[in-house]
Amino acid sequence: MAEYKLLLEHSDDTAYRTLDGYRKKGGYKALEKAVKMERQAIIDEVKASGLRGRGGAGFPTWIKWNGLPKEKVGKKHYVVCNADEGEPGTFKDKQLMEETPFLLVEGMTIAGFATQGDAGFIYIRGEFIDAAKALRAAIDEAYAAGLLGKNILGSGRDFDLYIHMGAGSYECGEESALMSSLMGERGMPRLKFPHAPLPTISGLWDSPTLINNVETYTCVPFIVNKGGEWYQTLGAATKNSRGTKIFSVSGHVNKPGNYEIEFGTTLNELLEMSGGMKGGKLKACVPGGSSVPIIDAEMCGRAVLGYEEMSDVKSMVGSGGCMFLNEHTCIVSFIWRTAMFYAQESCGKCTPCREGTKWMLQIMERIVAGNGQPGDKELLLEVCSQIDGRSFCGLGDAAAWPVAAAIRVFPEEFDYFIANGKSMVKSSKDLMLVP
Amino acid sequence: MATVAATDTVNIVINDVDLQVPKGELVVEAVKRLGHEIPIFCYHPRMKPVGMCRMCLVEVGFKQPDGSVRKMPKPQAGCTLPVSEGMVIYTDTEMVHRDRKGVLEFLLINHPLDCPVCDRGGECPLQNNTIFYGPSTSRYIDIKRHAPKAFPLSEYVTLDLERCIQCGRCVRFTEEISGDAQLAFRFRGAAMQPSTFKLTDFDSKFSGNVIEICPVGALTSSKYRFRARPWDLETSEGLCLECGNGCNVWLDHRAAKLVRVNGRTNEAINEEWTCDKGKFGHDYYNSSKRLTQPLRREGDRFVPVSWGEAYAEIAAHLGAKSAALVGSTVSNEGLFCLQKLFKDGFGSENIDHRWTRTLPAAGERVAKRHESSIASLEHKKTVLVFGADLANSQPIVHLRVRKGWFLNETRVVVAHSQTTDADSFANLLLSCKPGSLDDLAMGLERAVAEAQKTDVQGFASFKDTEKTTSVKESALREVAAMLLEGNASIVCTASIYNENKPVETLAALAKIAAATGAEFNVYAEGGNDEGAMALGVMTGRNTHEILQDCAMGDLNALWLVGADPLTLHPSRRLAEDALEAVPFLVYQGLLECEAMGYASIVLPMEAPGEHDGTYTNIEGRVQRMQQAVKNPGDGKPAWRVFSELLVRIKPGRPSFSAKEIMDEIAATHPAFAEATYDKLEKEGTPLKPVIENFYM
Ligand code: SF4
Ligand code: FES
Repeated sequence: MAEYKLLLEHSDDTAYRTLDGYRKKGGYKALEKAVKMERQAIIDEVKASGLRGRGGAGFPTWIKWNGLPKEKVGKKHYVVCNADEGEPGTFKDKQLMEETPFLLVEGMTIAGFATQGDAGFIYIRGEFIDAAKALRAAIDEAYAAGLLGKNILGSGRDFDLYIHMGAGSYECGEESALMSSLMGERGMPRLKFPHAPLPTISGLWDSPTLINNVETYTCVPFIVNKGGEWYQTLGAATKNSRGTKIFSVSGHVNKPGNYEIEFGTTLNELLEMSGGMKGGKLKACVPGGSSVPIIDAEMCGRAVLGYEEMSDVKSMVGSGGCMFLNEHTCIVSFIWRTAMFYAQESCGKCTPCREGTKWMLQIMERIVAGNGQPGDKELLLEVCSQIDGRSFCGLGDAAAWPVAAAIRVFPEEFDYFIANGKSMVKSSKDLMLVP
Repeated sequence: MATVAATDTVNIVINDVDLQVPKGELVVEAVKRLGHEIPIFCYHPRMKPVGMCRMCLVEVGFKQPDGSVRKMPKPQAGCTLPVSEGMVIYTDTEMVHRDRKGVLEFLLINHPLDCPVCDRGGECPLQNNTIFYGPSTSRYIDIKRHAPKAFPLSEYVTLDLERCIQCGRCVRFTEEISGDAQLAFRFRGAAMQPSTFKLTDFDSKFSGNVIEICPVGALTSSKYRFRARPWDLETSEGLCLECGNGCNVWLDHRAAKLVRVNGRTNEAINEEWTCDKGKFGHDYYNSSKRLTQPLRREGDRFVPVSWGEAYAEIAAHLGAKSAALVGSTVSNEGLFCLQKLFKDGFGSENIDHRWTRTLPAAGERVAKRHESSIASLEHKKTVLVFGADLANSQPIVHLRVRKGWFLNETRVVVAHSQTTDADSFANLLLSCKPGSLDDLAMGLERAVAEAQKTDVQGFASFKDTEKTTSVKESALREVAAMLLEGNASIVCTASIYNENKPVETLAALAKIAAATGAEFNVYAEGGNDEGAMALGVMTGRNTHEILQDCAMGDLNALWLVGADPLTLHPSRRLAEDALEAVPFLVYQGLLECEAMGYASIVLPMEAPGEHDGTYTNIEGRVQRMQQAVKNPGDGKPAWRVFSELLVRIKPGRPSFSAKEIMDEIAATHPAFAEATYDKLEKEGTPLKPVIENFYM
């Protein structure tokens, strides 16, 4: 299958970033339609579409939307957008916010209508200045045109939208940590169900809160406009993945960039779209952002991009940060760099992640410095298993998976490095992904 | 007691044992019902669970309709998971043990192995959990985290960062319990460390508690560091008399010397907390200024004399024209014997223990000083703190009031002319001009009267009240409305007697209380001031009159019992004149002090922890403290001195023990009827209310 541009159709068109241009291309039709719909009808449309969260977990979106109280009980409802795109290898939300800001604004406004949201917050990664500027401009225009604020489109309903800039923490992309940060607390994750109520019941300031990823919200105008029925025909070939997905392709490819595809496209097709390998044959791929398990060339050959389909190759769609690595890549060094990232980004809240990520990094450092000890590979696996599933939030798991997977898929590279004090990959020095 | 309704409990299974527990109880608490234990670090029953350390991971499943159990894929933190119907909990599986080992291995990779020189060694949760659940060796061969070893967070608290296991207990304590939010985590990941926000001093009135709740030796007491090993310590149940709250403490002593004071749990009073005054303020026990033997003035120096000589001297000089002024740490027994000595021995009634500018009236009715028990304050709907700086003078009351606000939605109103720590969380702040508390009280009385549509004739208008106090009408009306909603308590302390027109202020507040049904408290301030009030240690001439009489030459002798008028009396001038003029001065106390310079006879007194005795706290709770340490010299408990002297003057049977005296007090004072040693309860025995209706 080839590229399927739904969200990114007008991304090259600079006029699309203005309200006029956006409207000319059919923008805000969906909101106009939504204000006349029953709240539940909107949610049902999202349900019919089969939309799943694009942030990484792939949770059915409608369940969240449906989870907010149908009748307000004296508390405000909030709609939050997770725009803290920090997963290494992922840069789709950045483009969406910079080039199609109105899609997000409209999508969130519709979400606000469907869930009786009083206010929305877009929590943007601190480094994304351009994205924030584009959104600021879009929000201002929308306010001026009565598409945000009081009595939107004469519906009698209000919805305010705010931008909040993060301060540079990966952990704040975890939804509960994001909410802590948004409320002015330290960016640490909060207790989750069943240890505490779901955010849809008690989220921001203990109020019902809907939180979705940028890409998820941008899908909404299309779903409302063309109907969930239509949307779910996209990706019909897969087991349970519907619609399009943007993959951020990077690594040793000729044309890195964001590619929007229909679910069911193969990884090979994605590689072709991005101009094929550069500098050598395909060796491995991290298909969904740095935290998902790495796969080798053989698995790449049979990988189909779909939430369930990817588990056939023991990996995941994740956030769609797809990194292709050529034959000159030293997997050990690559994982060292990954481990460094997670050790730096652990928030420190829980023991396994705080201590485990640091320890893994120390072991990896030792190995790439040529001081690996016999048993280090097994020790790494043990440490991974002591983190995986034991940490407070998903960051610990995300730190353990890539290491464990790399050892599973490329054990010989670790053995060689540990035994010989150097990489088994020739000329890896030049292409090694070191900082 | 109401029986627990079936819907309030759930059926769960813990390690194959079926049981019913209250719905929503945390797993870590539920297992205690079976006598099982889940190891913990970060969890503290008095603070909100956070699930940080992961020590408490257990396996959890749910009963399926077909009777099988479906386990959750990941282990769950027992300290954050509330039980629910059909939950099946395993605390003893292979996986659980593996996970505990894993967490402990992680915690230990950066924890120094300096247990042999660590204060906590021997009473350290990390040590204990490691011994029970930890790995026997470490696979860690890399470089441990290093940090400054003894970083002084404050004068009292020293932080050893290397030992910290980032459990967050200390940080949460300052957020949730003391409320001063002094500590926070800086940095993230493995570099995360507890610290003050701006690296300033750890400025808290309750900082000492974090030393006790730290599960490792990271937070240590600057005063106790390296003073003892836990296994060298002996400990005794003690009471703190730094203020009238009556906190229960452990007095830890080594080789008969007091080295440490820790909080001892008493749910009725301090729960498990102490304030820093209480924890660090017991220096006098080992002070080099401690008086150790009776002294007699000879010219301008003191020479040691025997007790017998001292008694003879005193007996020769004291008579009907003598008086005594008492400090706040004398036991009930001491106070009672003093009264007897003066009355029966010297024929004088001139005794007083009050030191405020205006003296609380002798006729004031007992229970009026404490209608609300300390523990009840956390369940009030509204607490009006009037003219009191609780954090300073009643630290534990302050914690209770804050607890109510933090956990139970108590609305706190603070009315004062100066800033207090409670301002930071008060729902409403009535800050008035200095000296205008009386006008404020009357303004409030008017607001209550108007709300109840009763006559407001004779009241100042709200406009005038605003002029004198700067408090707005709307605020007064708001407070009145809150009080009228019921379940309210008005909290004042004896410090109100140092303010302008306290009698008028209190009269207005009493009327407000009567009109709104609010409880009304004027808590005593000093260690056993409530005991002195209840025993009526304020007969004959009062404090001011006694000092004036001394200054005018109308009294021949003055006995200072653990009190120095130069620091206690509002007028230093008067105190100086009195001490200068009085021909014969007895100073009986713990430490050398300024007043001693005027004394003819000096008597060493035993500190409270050096002898048996009972003390009455602000809420009228009589508690007993037994001897913990030995007096460093030849000191005697106050009661013994008084009773020995009395026998010399008026031969009779001397009292042998504090217990005996307490029996006598119980027999003669109805309020103390239940407070004999054999009847005193674990949490202390409240005084019996002797006056049913205060408003008659
Ligand atoms: S200093 Fe102690 S109480 Fe505070 S986080 Fe560290 S281990 Fe926990
Ligand atoms: S005791 Fe449960 S996570 Fe710390």
